[in-house]
Amino acid sequence: MTKPHAIIIGAGFTGVATAHDLAMRGFDVTVVERGPIANGTSGRTHGLLHSGGRYAVKDQESAIECIDENLILRKIVPSVIEPNGGLFVALSESDLDYAEEFIAGCEACHIPIEQLTPQRALKLEPNLNPKLLVAFTIPDGTFDPLRLAMSFAATAKKNGANFHLYHEVKSLLMDGKATVTGARLLDRTSNKEIDLHGDIVINATGAWAGEITAMAGADVPIKPTPGIMVAFERRTAQRAINRLCAPADGDIVLPQRRMMVVGTTSFAADNLDYIPIVEDQIKLMVERAADLLPGLRSVKLRGIYMASRPLIGGGTGRSIARTFKCFDHKETHNLDGFVTITGGKATTLRAMAEKTADTVCAKLGINAACQTKETPLISYRQFYSLN
Amino acid sequence: MVEKWNITVKFYRQKQGEKPHDQEIKMDVNPDENVIDLVERAWALHDRTLVFAHACHHSTCGACGMRVNEREKLACITPVRSVVANGGTLKVAPLRNFPVISDLVVDMGELYRRMDLVGHQPVDSDREEAIQPEFRPAGPAEPNEDFMRLSDCIECGLCMSACPVFSSTPDYLGPAVLAGAHQAGLEKNPLLFKLIDSATGVWRCHSAFECTAVCPSNVDPGWRIMELRRKVIGDRVKTLFNPRKPAEVGK
Amino acid sequence: MNTQSNFVVRAFRWFDPRGRSLSGWGFMIHRLTALGLTFYLFLHLIVLGQLAQGPDAYDNFLKSTESPLYKIGELSVVAAVFLHGLNGVRIVMTSFGIAVPRQREIFIGAMVIGLVAIVIFGIRMFIG
Repeated sequence: MTKPHAIIIGAGFTGVATAHDLAMRGFDVTVVERGPIANGTSGRTHGLLHSGGRYAVKDQESAIECIDENLILRKIVPSVIEPNGGLFVALSESDLDYAEEFIAGCEACHIPIEQLTPQRALKLEPNLNPKLLVAFTIPDGTFDPLRLAMSFAATAKKNGANFHLYHEVKSLLMDGKATVTGARLLDRTSNKEIDLHGDIVINATGAWAGEITAMAGADVPIKPTPGIMVAFERRTAQRAINRLCAPADGDIVLPQRRMMVVGTTSFAADNLDYIPIVEDQIKLMVERAADLLPGLRSVKLRGIYMASRPLIGGGTGRSIARTFKCFDHKETHNLDGFVTITGGKATTLRAMAEKTADTVCAKLGINAACQTKETPLISYRQFYSLN
Repeated sequence: MVEKWNITVKFYRQKQGEKPHDQEIKMDVNPDENVIDLVERAWALHDRTLVFAHACHHSTCGACGMRVNEREKLACITPVRSVVANGGTLKVAPLRNFPVISDLVVDMGELYRRMDLVGHQPVDSDREEAIQPEFRPAGPAEPNEDFMRLSDCIECGLCMSACPVFSSTPDYLGPAVLAGAHQAGLEKNPLLFKLIDSATGVWRCHSAFECTAVCPSNVDPGWRIMELRRKVIGDRVKTLFNPRKPAEVGK
Repeated sequence: MNTQSNFVVRAFRWFDPRGRSLSGWGFMIHRLTALGLTFYLFLHLIVLGQLAQGPDAYDNFLKSTESPLYKIGELSVVAAVFLHGLNGVRIVMTSFGIAVPRQREIFIGAMVIGLVAIVIFGIRMFIG
């Protein structure tokens, strides 16, 4: 029996994780990507391995996904993670008011937290704002975005997946109007076109999902919502530092190598391929970061960048849930051979892939269980050294 | 008010099987933006056929190494102001010493293979070094047995591109790889010792120190290569006075 | 890696002056002076070989060395010796792990001393 062939569009977090999952379930997998691995939103994430604390009050579905996946990623891909935990820090009376809901939310989502006195918090992180009122430890972490994606891609490749990088989808191949059968690609390194045929086409293009579905005359309720991140050229903490408040602009500052990264904001964009940097937001980020770690006020900036979250559904900005969704276009537009996975967060990439692979297996009538929870990933470097 | 400059950007262009040529694009730029921003904008708004690599845009991934005005730079942390004046020309080209895939992208597979070969660890446990002296706590740090952080080397390939010896001798392990061996630790691995104490290892370096000059990430490969030499010489002196028993030779 | 280009092209790649730092130029100066001095050594041996052809041949040769062209040649040998020798001291030091973070300053110092010495020799050879 020949293996079913899955074409995955996009080599961001969802694409590479889905490639890994399907390759383990015995699929013949081809990933197509117009640039290098993780060149869009995935590469430009904050790098926070969420514990779920950020969503424990208003969006508990996302919070539970985060803590579950956080623990799994620590096990399967430790080589790209700084596993040093995080703190939620209260600086004002209104932060203190939020603390009660926060404790209850974390308990409901089984996120382990511990309350610290200001003295104890300053002992752990001496560069914190000395005026802090209370702090909580939380199992946050930091990851290297590109290497996280490459670890999944390398493991998928070892299990037989093919990667066509720098290949842009020009159109979807259709059988009549009701079935997607493949994609026409432009190899951008040689300007040659090739056709690729598959049993299922998976649209894993995140914030760009609408551009791909439009090629088949379908749509998805995606609201691309960019935010800014600012990197300082000094590391002044060993843990991710969160402001103890409802999700807000610049509420997280985290360490990465010898830097601190603060983010983020939330607004709407027209052209996803190039999002200009808004000067005012840089100042806002520096202020917010310095509220938590005052020493950062005098530190030089090293990098400033924008990334566009793929948020699902109605509502606007912060009120939209951060969970993910897999759309079977047979159900939404009576279009066969075509699914879209989008939404979600970097931390939940494996779960998004599991859901997508489950949907694909159900559609094709294949009985194969997900094995990615327990399978350690191989070195990200092997993405390049395997042939 | 944001400052606005007008510059000419000269891109190295090459598709597979074709000869390279330069392409000039006139662009309005903000002198405080970084080179990667204008490369991305050139692709998004001027010429969709441009191929370039990038991911994190803040120097943690190492994907956007390229030559800016001939010099190896990480494009995401290179302000336009630092490499060109208003009205001037900026040249953007791929790294040296690696095969070009297309335009600004090179194949760094060999670097990744060699980093695995010497056992460089992508995360390591040094805690103090990560925090610059002015932000270190006054007293002894709270012990944290489990502390891990992403290591300094981001495998961007800038040092391999700038190394004149690697240019002429592809078998030379190269600065990033030797620095990786230094981080991995010779003490733990006699095979690694043999690998670097060789004509393609530390003795091939000719002290141009270009690696240290271009490293964007505090690795200082030049210093690490010299440290490795010191260790090798120390070991030679030790075995001169205290020869290894035959059974230990070649271990 | 760089297997695309042939051996001959590769053999000269080390002398790629584009985008070099000061210590990169130091490397190029070191290697160029080394090649120059090696070339000089062969010339020297050939000239000494003339001794075997009797005193007249050698005297004739010595006369021709009075010309300014030879003096320039001699001064470049002296220059190469100074630059290569002084830079060599720096390279030996750094190879033993001594003063590596200060190698750039040591290079500048060595070159300044070298240039002063070359100028003194030049004055003495051409004027004094």
